[in-house]
Amino acid sequence: MTDGDPALSSQQDQPGVPPPASGSEPGPELAAGRQLSERIARQFGRSLHIRTLDTGSCAACEQEIRLLAAPHYDLNRLGFFFTPAPRHADLLMVTGPMVRAFDVAARKTYEAMPGPKIVVATGACALGGVYQPDAFVHGSVAEILPVDVWIPGCPPSPLALLQGLLVAVDRLAEKVGGLSFAADETQEAAQ
Amino acid sequence: MALWFLRGLRRGVVTTGYPARSDDSAARLPTPPAFRPAALDRSTADRLVAVCPSLALRREADVLVFDVGACTACGRCQDAVPGAAAPSGEFELAATSRAHLVKRIPLLREAGT
Amino acid sequence: MTAVRPGASGTLAGLLGAVSGASLSGIGNAVAVRLPAAELERAAHHLTGAGARLADLFAAGQDPVDLHLIWALDGEDHYLITQAEVTGDQYPPLSDIAPAAFAEECEIYEQFGIRPASGKPLNRVMLPPHAGPDFPRLGRQPPVPPADLHAPHTVGGHAFEFPFGPVRQVGVESLYYGLVTSGEEIVDLYMFTWHKHRGLEWRLRGRTPREASFHVERTEGLSAVGVGWAFAAAVEAALDVTAPAQAQRTRAVALELERLYNHAAATAALCQATGLSIGQAAAEIALERLLRLNAAVFGHRYLFGVVQPGGVRRAPDADAVRGGLHGAHGELRRAADALASTNSFLDRLEAAGIVTGEQARRLGLVGPVARASGQRIDSRADHPAPPYVEHRPAVATRDRGDVLARFQVMHEEAAESVRLIDDLLEAGAGDGTQELPAAAGSGLGWAETPRGEALVFVGLDQDGRITRARLRPASVRNWRGFDDACRSQNVFTDVPIIEASFWLTVAGTAR
Repeated sequence: MTDGDPALSSQQDQPGVPPPASGSEPGPELAAGRQLSERIARQFGRSLHIRTLDTGSCAACEQEIRLLAAPHYDLNRLGFFFTPAPRHADLLMVTGPMVRAFDVAARKTYEAMPGPKIVVATGACALGGVYQPDAFVHGSVAEILPVDVWIPGCPPSPLALLQGLLVAVDRLAEKVGGLSFAADETQEAAQ
Repeated sequence: MALWFLRGLRRGVVTTGYPARSDDSAARLPTPPAFRPAALDRSTADRLVAVCPSLALRREADVLVFDVGACTACGRCQDAVPGAAAPSGEFELAATSRAHLVKRIPLLREAGT
Repeated sequence: MTAVRPGASGTLAGLLGAVSGASLSGIGNAVAVRLPAAELERAAHHLTGAGARLADLFAAGQDPVDLHLIWALDGEDHYLITQAEVTGDQYPPLSDIAPAAFAEECEIYEQFGIRPASGKPLNRVMLPPHAGPDFPRLGRQPPVPPADLHAPHTVGGHAFEFPFGPVRQVGVESLYYGLVTSGEEIVDLYMFTWHKHRGLEWRLRGRTPREASFHVERTEGLSAVGVGWAFAAAVEAALDVTAPAQAQRTRAVALELERLYNHAAATAALCQATGLSIGQAAAEIALERLLRLNAAVFGHRYLFGVVQPGGVRRAPDADAVRGGLHGAHGELRRAADALASTNSFLDRLEAAGIVTGEQARRLGLVGPVARASGQRIDSRADHPAPPYVEHRPAVATRDRGDVLARFQVMHEEAAESVRLIDDLLEAGAGDGTQELPAAAGSGLGWAETPRGEALVFVGLDQDGRITRARLRPASVRNWRGFDDACRSQNVFTDVPIIEASFWLTVAGTAR
């Protein structure tokens, strides 16, 4: 991919790309950060290969991930592809509570991928729910791998997974950060 | 193979329009609860924390800390204290920071305590 | 769940005549016979000779360890539990009599440190290699670590070992295979599943049954209803509680929906394994419709949170079932019919992964795998618990034992599930839960999951908290037939096809 590709530069004008942070003029760090995220969006924005890693899931997350490629969701139309080859992979979807017996395999799987790479923790146990950390499990994927995007759900539905993947490549804005999960009184009155 | 080809044509397109359009099937998905601060004091919050099987709730003084990331949307908190919580309807929950998923819900100050 | 039927069966009367020092009791809805450990071998000989199926073997307690053998008397409508206290660190070898017991003998060694007196080497099956003295166990650490399974790297100079896993293709569970191959043909196959061991039986100790049901469902997410029901039934048997009739029918509706989506998923996986992507798409459309139906009926695509000890947490939306079930199943049936007339698909299934009836019986296989090998076992029909007493399923069987036979059994079962759901809704399925007393007791529960019979044994203390929960999903059983199926004159590329036709989970067997 070259920076001069006109098809790529139009990427930044897409409605899905989040607006710049509100407030005053960005400082140099912020600007550098934005440049980096734009570069990632350019690199990953159009075609991205996904590998998965199960670190002790109950098998439901795997079923939902498989369904991403099914006709109802068809992730290829969004430029995502599954790959069994670590050398082709840009993004690693990790499920399960990170069983300690999996440490070595998880690190090797991550290290086998070329950079830049994205790690997506997928499902409640990968995010620290369901299993308390103990001698069997770390209780969270982030204990072993540098997680970039978190997708809650038990299991996350294919729609939630699609949203997570689009957030991971900066094509959709994150939504959950702005939600309070406190029911608003005015909303209730309207119901 | 001709059989399969004709079947496919007859079947038509089933693919979701998401994310460009919303998807009706999302309405049936289990979603994490939204809590009603007006119905939450310390003791109700403690009851909610006690029934959560997934490490998603804890109480810090007068704040209910809700970890959406750990929530499995099992509905046990809604069953335990009806009226304190209801499904939020939110399924687009992906976060770029773990901290974005941790919500702090203020509790009612109890009179006389 | 009914009361004990003391002395009702011929097999039981025969057993009491054959062994000395036996005492009879009831464990909930099963008959229990306590034996001196020295009589175990004689009892096992007698029972296997009488046609009883050793459905599970596990240990509980410490000093002394209490061995439990669960025998399914499939012709006589009930389960028989033989119990024996083991003092010291050895007990009579059972796997020589019932080969199905070997995996459990290994597991008991890892968890409790006691071993069969045969001197046979025991393998690592459950706990990871790094499990040292401080690792949480149900009992005590074995004096000598179990042996790591492996095959010699060359076999007779013509075969070599091909390691595969634990991280495999996209969207499949972690599993390590050691494939021993001569280049194309599979000579031997073994697997490690301890990568996924989450210590669930250990975790459940000290919990109340209601708390525990959350993790029980996540033992094997693709049989959340089946395993959850078996657990709930065990708790109810222990506490002498009966779930309301309409709640029992709700459980059955959920269980049959679970069977439908699993069989659709297995079909999709079979198409993927045979490279028939167009058939895969057709099966996946049916699968997605069935999962959306689950969400519409019970509010969860994988039916988590429906069953709870004492009853159910949700009633089915009967209108949603009526509106969506026949359409979704029609989609699956049409896909299956089209596959059944696609020769390139059938050629890969026929004569692949054969499990003979004798192997299935000897290894104690269950579910569609056993039924496709001519074993007419289905716990819904053989050990009917309400509502299957009034709603008896027709049991589908085939004799060839190959992948095609399993495919046919699954689709016949799917059609039967639709019929059952219609009948159950007609009879009335609703919600309702009995309160659970905080009391001591123990009980056995079972349910016919999509993969076969799941068994759960629960022991509760005076406060109604779990002292021992034994979870035995069908995957625990059927993986032990997988290597035999792969060995039977198959080539490398048959392995994924055979795996799809078994449709097991690693999560269930690793627990």
